[in-house]
Amino acid sequence: MKARVLLVGLMSLALVLAAGAGRAAAKEFTLGVSLASDVNPFYIAMANGMKMQAKETGATLRFVTANEDMATQLNGVQDLIAAGVNLILISPIDAVASGAAYDAAAKANIPIMSIARGAKSEKQTAFIRMNEEQIGEEVGQWVVKQTGGKGNIAMLSGPAGASFAYFMAQGFKREIAKNPGLRIVAELHSGLTREEGLKLAEDVLTAQRDLAVIYAANDEIALGASQAVQAAKRATIKVTGLNGIPPAVMAVREGRMALTVGLNPVDWGKLGVKTAVDYLNGVKPGKNVYIRHLLIDSSNAQSIKLPPPPKK
Amino acid sequence: MVQFNAAPAAATLAGGERRRSRWSLLLARYPWLITPLALLVMSAVAALLSDHFLTVRNVTNILNQAAVLAIVSVGMTVVIISGGFDLSVGSVVSLAGCVGAAVMVRGSIAGGVLAGLGIGLLVGVMNGVVVSLLNVSPFIATLGAMVLVRGAALLFTGGVPIVNLPETFTVVGTEGVFGIPIPVLITALIFAVFWVLLQFTPLGLKIYAVGGNREASRLSGVAVNRVTIAAYGICGALAGAAGLVLTARLRSGQPTAGEFYELTSIAAVVLGGASLTGGEGKVQRTVLGVLIIQVLSNSLNLLNVHSYWQRVLVGGIIIVAAAVDRFRRTA
Repeated sequence: MKARVLLVGLMSLALVLAAGAGRAAAKEFTLGVSLASDVNPFYIAMANGMKMQAKETGATLRFVTANEDMATQLNGVQDLIAAGVNLILISPIDAVASGAAYDAAAKANIPIMSIARGAKSEKQTAFIRMNEEQIGEEVGQWVVKQTGGKGNIAMLSGPAGASFAYFMAQGFKREIAKNPGLRIVAELHSGLTREEGLKLAEDVLTAQRDLAVIYAANDEIALGASQAVQAAKRATIKVTGLNGIPPAVMAVREGRMALTVGLNPVDWGKLGVKTAVDYLNGVKPGKNVYIRHLLIDSSNAQSIKLPPPPKK
Repeated sequence: MVQFNAAPAAATLAGGERRRSRWSLLLARYPWLITPLALLVMSAVAALLSDHFLTVRNVTNILNQAAVLAIVSVGMTVVIISGGFDLSVGSVVSLAGCVGAAVMVRGSIAGGVLAGLGIGLLVGVMNGVVVSLLNVSPFIATLGAMVLVRGAALLFTGGVPIVNLPETFTVVGTEGVFGIPIPVLITALIFAVFWVLLQFTPLGLKIYAVGGNREASRLSGVAVNRVTIAAYGICGALAGAAGLVLTARLRSGQPTAGEFYELTSIAAVVLGGASLTGGEGKVQRTVLGVLIIQVLSNSLNLLNVHSYWQRVLVGGIIIVAAAVDRFRRTA
C-alpha cells in the first residue's frame, strides 16, 4: 500500500527532476527534431552537429526519440506539435508510413523538413540530403580511373528497398556502362551491416575468380567485404564504401579499403538546423538541399581529421 | 528505505504516526484510489511545468497515442486475471495489421478487418491450447509464439511495409467525431464491452475464479481449460484489433511494429494494481495504468527530456510497479 504512495511520489519527482534538466531559456525559434535512432553513431553525430549550429544561431532544439519504430516516431511528432515548435526536422523511418506525421504537422501549419532520409509525402517542406546519384557517378568515375577501364566488378548494393542505395547504384552503373572493358558480374542485396557484408563477400569471392573491384553501399558492408578479401589473400581487389565513418577512413589509410565517401553527419546536422532557421527567417530553400561530400582514398586519407577516441 | 514503511495500516496507527496513518487508512479502505491519484499528481506536475500539457490538442493527442496500447492492455488484463500472461501480443499486433492491410489492398475493408481479428484470435487460441491442454508454462508458450509470429509477419511481407491502403480505412487513424479521434472511440467501446464481460457475465466470473484458484475452480465444476483458452483467445483477438487501429494510424502494415507492447501492456496492468499471480484486476484500472505510461512519455517529450533518460524512467517505473505488486501482497 505505502509502496504505491511511494510510486506516486517517485514518478512526480522524476518529472520535476526531468523538467529541471530539460528547461532552457526561451529563444527565438524552437525546432523539433525526430531522428530515426538515438543509438546509431551516425545519428548521434548528426544530433551533435544540430546542437552546435543551434547554439551558434540561437535556436532551441527539442529532441524526441523514435528507436526505428514508426509508431513511436508518429507519437513523438505529435508531441512536438503539441509543444508548439516552429519547425520539425525528421529522418523518417519509413518513406510512406511517415505520411501521417507529415500530414499532422501540415494540419498544424508547422513546416516539416526531412533530413538524411526522405519521405514520399507532398507535405515535405524540404529534404536535406546527399546527392546519391552524383555520388554513385563519382565512385564510378574513380573506379574507371583506378582500373584503367578494365576488370570485373561485384556490387554489394545494400537493402533492395532503400532508395539511397538504389539511386547511388544507378549512378554508379551509368558510369560503368560507358566503359566496355568494365563488367558488373554480380549484384547482391543485404542489410547494411558488417556481418552481412562479410558473408556476401565470401560468397562472391568463391564464385568469382577474377575480380578487380567490390562496390559496397556503405562502410559497414565495405569493412565486412575487406575482411573477406584479406582472408582470401586477394588484396588487389579494391573495396569501395560510403559514409566516411572513422573505421573506414582508418581502413583506407591502411590500404584495407580503397575508397570511402565522406558524408560528415556533424555537418549534415548543422546544415539541417541552418536551413530550418533560414526558412523561418524567410529564406526559402529549394525542395532538395544537398550536403557536400568528399571522396577519400589513399591520396587524402592521411589528412582527414578523425574524432578523438571516446573518453572512458 | 521504503521497506520499513510497508507494514499494515493498523500497525502504524499504533505507532502514533497519526498524520500518515490517516492517509494509509483512506488508501487501505479504498485501494483503487492509488492509480487515479498517481495519474492526477503526474498530470498536475506536468501541467505546472509545461504550458502545453493541459491543452485540448495535447489531451486529445495523449488519448489518441494511448489507444493502441490500451486495447492490447485490456486483453492482457483478461489473461492476467485468468492467471497467465501473453508475451506474443506485440508480434500479433504486427502480423494482424499486415494481413489486414494486405486484404484491404486487394479491395475488401471488411475482409481485412475480419482477417486481422481472425489471425489474432487464432494465435490467442493456440496459446491457450498450449498453456492449458499441453500444460506448458505461459512464459515459454507465449515467448515461442512471440518469435514465431514475428517471423510469420516478416515472411508474409518479405520485410517490406504494406502500403496504399484504401482511404476509407485510413481515415480511422486520422479523423474524429466531435473532435474525439476514432481510435479513442474504438478503445472506449472495447473497454465498455470487456468491463461488462468481466463484471457481469458467467464467463467473467469464471475467469476470476480460475485465476484465483485453478484447482478449486476445477473441483467446483468449472471447465478450466476452456476458460483459459477463452482468455487467451480474447487477448489475441484484441491484439489483432489493436494491430488494425495501428495500421490505420500508420497507413501501412508494418512487419516490425508493436515491439515491446507485451512488456508495456504488462506494466500497465500491474500499474493498475492487478496481481501477476492471477484472480485480481480490473480493466478500468488498467486503462488508468496505460494513461500513466502515456502521460509520462508525453510530458517528458513536452519537457524536452533526453531520450536516454526516458528509457531509464520508463524502465524504473516497470520495476517499481512490480515491486509495488509484491509489497501489496506481503503488507
